[in-house]
Amino acid sequence: MNASRDIAQDGSAPFKARAVPARRSLGWLNSSKGLGIVLLMPALMLVVLFFLAPVVLTAVFAFTNMSTATGITGGAYQVSPGTLRVLSDRYGMGELAERLGQPTYIVDEEGLAALEEMGIEPGIIAGLRDDHLGETYSSRREFEREIRDLPDRPSTRTVKQISAEFSRSLANARFRNAGALVAAAEAIDPDLGDAEKDALLDATYTGWTWTTDNFRRLASSPQTTRVLLNTVFFVALTLTLFNTGFAMLLAITTHYIPERPAGIFRIIWFLPRISPAVIYVLLWKWLAWDTGFISAFLDNFGVRPRNWMLGSATNAWVFVILINGFVGASMGMVIFASAIKAIPQSLFHAASVDGAYRWQQVRHIILPHLKWPILFVTCYQTLSLLTAIDHILLSTDGGPGGATEVWSLWVYHTALNNYAGNLQYGYGAAMALVLVIIGVVLSLIYLRLFNYNALIIKPRIEH
Amino acid sequence: MRILLDKFSKSFGDVRVIEDMTLEINDGEMLALLGPSGCGKSTTLFAICGIHKVTGGRILFGDRDMTGVPSQERNVGVVFQSYALYPHMTVAENIAFPLRIRKLPEAEVKRQMEEMANLVHIEALLDRRPAELSGGQQQRVALARALVRRPNVLLLDEPLANLDAKLRLEMRSEIRRIQLETGITAILVTHDQVEAMSMCDRIAIMNAGEIIQIATPQEMYRNPRTAFVAGFLGNPPIAFIDAVASNGTLTVKDADIRLPVPPNTETPPDGTPVIVGIRPENLGRDGDAPIRGRISFVETQGRENLYDLTLANGSVLRSIQRESDDVSLNDEVEWRVRSDQLFLFAQNGERL
Ligand SMILES: Nc1ncnc2c1ncn2[C@@H]1O[C@H](COP(=O)(O)OP(=O)(O)O)[C@@H](O)[C@H]1O
Ligand SMILES: [Mg+2]
Repeated sequence: MNASRDIAQDGSAPFKARAVPARRSLGWLNSSKGLGIVLLMPALMLVVLFFLAPVVLTAVFAFTNMSTATGITGGAYQVSPGTLRVLSDRYGMGELAERLGQPTYIVDEEGLAALEEMGIEPGIIAGLRDDHLGETYSSRREFEREIRDLPDRPSTRTVKQISAEFSRSLANARFRNAGALVAAAEAIDPDLGDAEKDALLDATYTGWTWTTDNFRRLASSPQTTRVLLNTVFFVALTLTLFNTGFAMLLAITTHYIPERPAGIFRIIWFLPRISPAVIYVLLWKWLAWDTGFISAFLDNFGVRPRNWMLGSATNAWVFVILINGFVGASMGMVIFASAIKAIPQSLFHAASVDGAYRWQQVRHIILPHLKWPILFVTCYQTLSLLTAIDHILLSTDGGPGGATEVWSLWVYHTALNNYAGNLQYGYGAAMALVLVIIGVVLSLIYLRLFNYNALIIKPRIEH
Repeated sequence: MRILLDKFSKSFGDVRVIEDMTLEINDGEMLALLGPSGCGKSTTLFAICGIHKVTGGRILFGDRDMTGVPSQERNVGVVFQSYALYPHMTVAENIAFPLRIRKLPEAEVKRQMEEMANLVHIEALLDRRPAELSGGQQQRVALARALVRRPNVLLLDEPLANLDAKLRLEMRSEIRRIQLETGITAILVTHDQVEAMSMCDRIAIMNAGEIIQIATPQEMYRNPRTAFVAGFLGNPPIAFIDAVASNGTLTVKDADIRLPVPPNTETPPDGTPVIVGIRPENLGRDGDAPIRGRISFVETQGRENLYDLTLANGSVLRSIQRESDDVSLNDEVEWRVRSDQLFLFAQNGERL
C-alpha cells in the first residue's frame, strides 16, 4: 500500500501538478490513501450510524431520568400539592411550601395595569392604588370586602373580576419556563433566596433532567443482584453444556462416522439455528403447554396436565437453556468439526499404531487441537448469550415471577415494555450501558488472547 | 520377526489396488518396497500396520495371524511420509507417547525415551516442539517414536522424500545404521531406486499392485527379470532398442548393427522380434560389438560424461564414460558394446 502511494505521488506531483494546475485541486484523489478514504466513506457512515450512534445515545440516555412521564423533549414547571410536599419533605422548606400554597392576593402595579386593560373604571383603579397598593391579603373574602368598600362601590361582578386579577397563588399553576415561575414566586415572597428558588424549580419541573441516579439505583437495587446472578447462571450453563460441550460431542461423533450420515446429522442440528425464532419457540411451547405433547403423554401415566415450562423456576430454566442451547450448539459444532477435519489424517494413523484407541485419540490428539477453537467459541458465545433476548422473551418472558429474567430482558422490560406503563428510558439505558461496558471489556480481553495466539504460532521450519 | 503377506488383496470400493500379493520378509532383514508412485506401496504398508483392513488374504507376524488384529495391538513402528509428529507435544513427549499409552511406569518411560533419543542423536532437542526442528531432526524424532516400543516390524513410508539432497544422503546411512544396531525387521517404501539399492538387504519391486521381482540389489541389477525392472534400476537408466533375431545374431533394423546373443541366453528363433537393453556403462570404447551413431547430446558430470548416441534408425542409446574431450556434439563415432552385459527381452517385457 505504501509503495503504490509513493509511486502515485512520484508520478504526478512534480510534473503534472505544474503542467495542469487545474488538476491540482483533485490531486489527493490520485493518491491511493485519498481514494481509499473516499471509497471507505459509505462504510464509515454506516458504522457511525448503526454501530456508534446507538451506543453513544445509550450512554447519553443513561445519564437522564427520561421516562414516559417526563417525555424525551423538555418539560414545564407544575406546582401541585405533590410538588409542595416534595418541597417540604425533601428540601425541608415546609414554611415556603405553605406560603406558596396559600391563596394570596397582592395589590401591585401589574394587577392595576391588567385592570386598565380590562377597561375597569379609572376611579376604582385610582382608589385601589391610593388606599391599598402593596397590601397583601390571605383570604379572598377579606380582599373583596376592601374592594367593595372603595368609594366607587363596584358591582359584585366587577369585584370578582378585580380580585381574580390580584390572585398571586401558585397552587396548581403551570409555567412554561423557569423565569415565569420565579417571577410568580417572587410576587408572593420578594425575599426568596437562591437556594429556595433552586429547590422550587427542581421540585416543580416535569421534564427530564441529567442525573447519575440511575447508576446509584442500579447499584443499590436488590433486583440487580438477582438478575445478574440469573444472567451468569444462564450464560455459564448454556455455554458449557451446549455451546461448547454438546457442540464438541456432536463434532467428535460425526468425525468418527462416515461422511454422508455425518453431513445429514450436522444439518439436523442446524435446523434450530435456521428456523425463525418465533416458530421454533412456538414448537417448544406446544411441547410444554398443559394441552401439549408432554402433558398429553404423561396423562397416560396419571400425571395431571400442566404447563411444564412455567410450572416452576427449575422447569423454566431447563427450557430456557435447552431452547438457547440447541440454537447455539450448531456454531460450535461446525467450528469444532472443521478444526478436527483440519487435523492431518496421518496423526490419527500415527496414534493408532502408537497404541491409542479412540477415546485416547480424542483425549491426546483431538482435544489439544481444539484448544483455540474452544476458546474462540467460548468468547464469541459469551458475548451473544449476554445479549440474547429473543428466545427467552418468546418462551418464558422472564417468568415465572422473574425467575428467568436475565439482564438484557430486564433492560427490555424496564425501558421498552412493562406492566406499570411507565417506561423508564433513562434507567433502562443505564442498564444497557452496563451491558455494553461488560461486552467491550470482554471483547478487549478476548482480542488480546487471540493476538497472543497469532504470536505464538511460529511458521514451520523445513530442513 | 518374520513378516508374511499371504495372498493379500486390497481394494477401495471398486478400485483393486493390490491383488493376491505374497511377500515374505525375513527376521532382521531390511526390505525395500520399490515402485513408481501410485503402484500400491503405501497401501501395502498400511495393511501391514492395520490402518487399512485387508480385502483378502492373511498377514502373519511370525506365526501369529494379525489379519483381524487392530493396529493398536500389532506393535508396529511406522515412520510416515509426513512424519506425523504430534505438533502439540515436545520431542520427549512424542517419543514417550507409545509408552505412556501402554501405561508403563514413568521411570521406565523416561529411561527408554532417553535411550532412544541417544540412539538417533537428538538428546539435545528433547524440549523442543516439532515445529522448531529441521526436517532431518523431525525424521529422527519420528524414527525414535517408531522404535521406542521395540516393535515387531519397522515400516518406513518414503522417509527421505521430504529432505533435501544432502540430508537425504546423511539420513540414508543413519536409518541403515539404526536398523542394523537394533536388528529390527524393516520395510522401506520408496520410489527411489538409489535408496532401495543402498539401504536394503533385498528389494521387492512393484508395479501396478504386483510384485515383479524380489532379489538382493546386485542380483536385481545384474539379472532383472523384466524390462520394467531393468528400466527402474540404474542411473542414468538403461536404453532399449528393437532388434530381430537372425542366424544367431541380433539385427537392429535400418541401422546396420549386429549384436551377438549374450551368453546364458538361449538364442531366439530366427525372425523373433526382441528388445535389447544396454546399460550406459556397457557402451563405450572397450567391448566387442561395434555400434555406429551420432553424438546427439553431451552432459558433463565432472568425473564422467554422459552421451546420447543416436543410431541411423533414430533409436537413442546412452553411454557413460570417463571425462574426455576427444569427441563432441554431432560427431559420428563408432563405439563398442560389451555383449556379455546385454539383456534380451521379449516384446511383452519378459527376460529371455
Ligand atoms: N483411501 C483410498 N481410497 C481410494 N483409492 C486409494 C486410497 N488410497 C490409495 N488409493 C489408490 O490406490 C493406489 C495406490 O496408492 P498408494 O498405495 O498410496 O500408492 P504409492 O505406491 O504411491 O504409495 C493409487 O491409485 C491410489 O489412488
Ligand atoms: Mg505412498
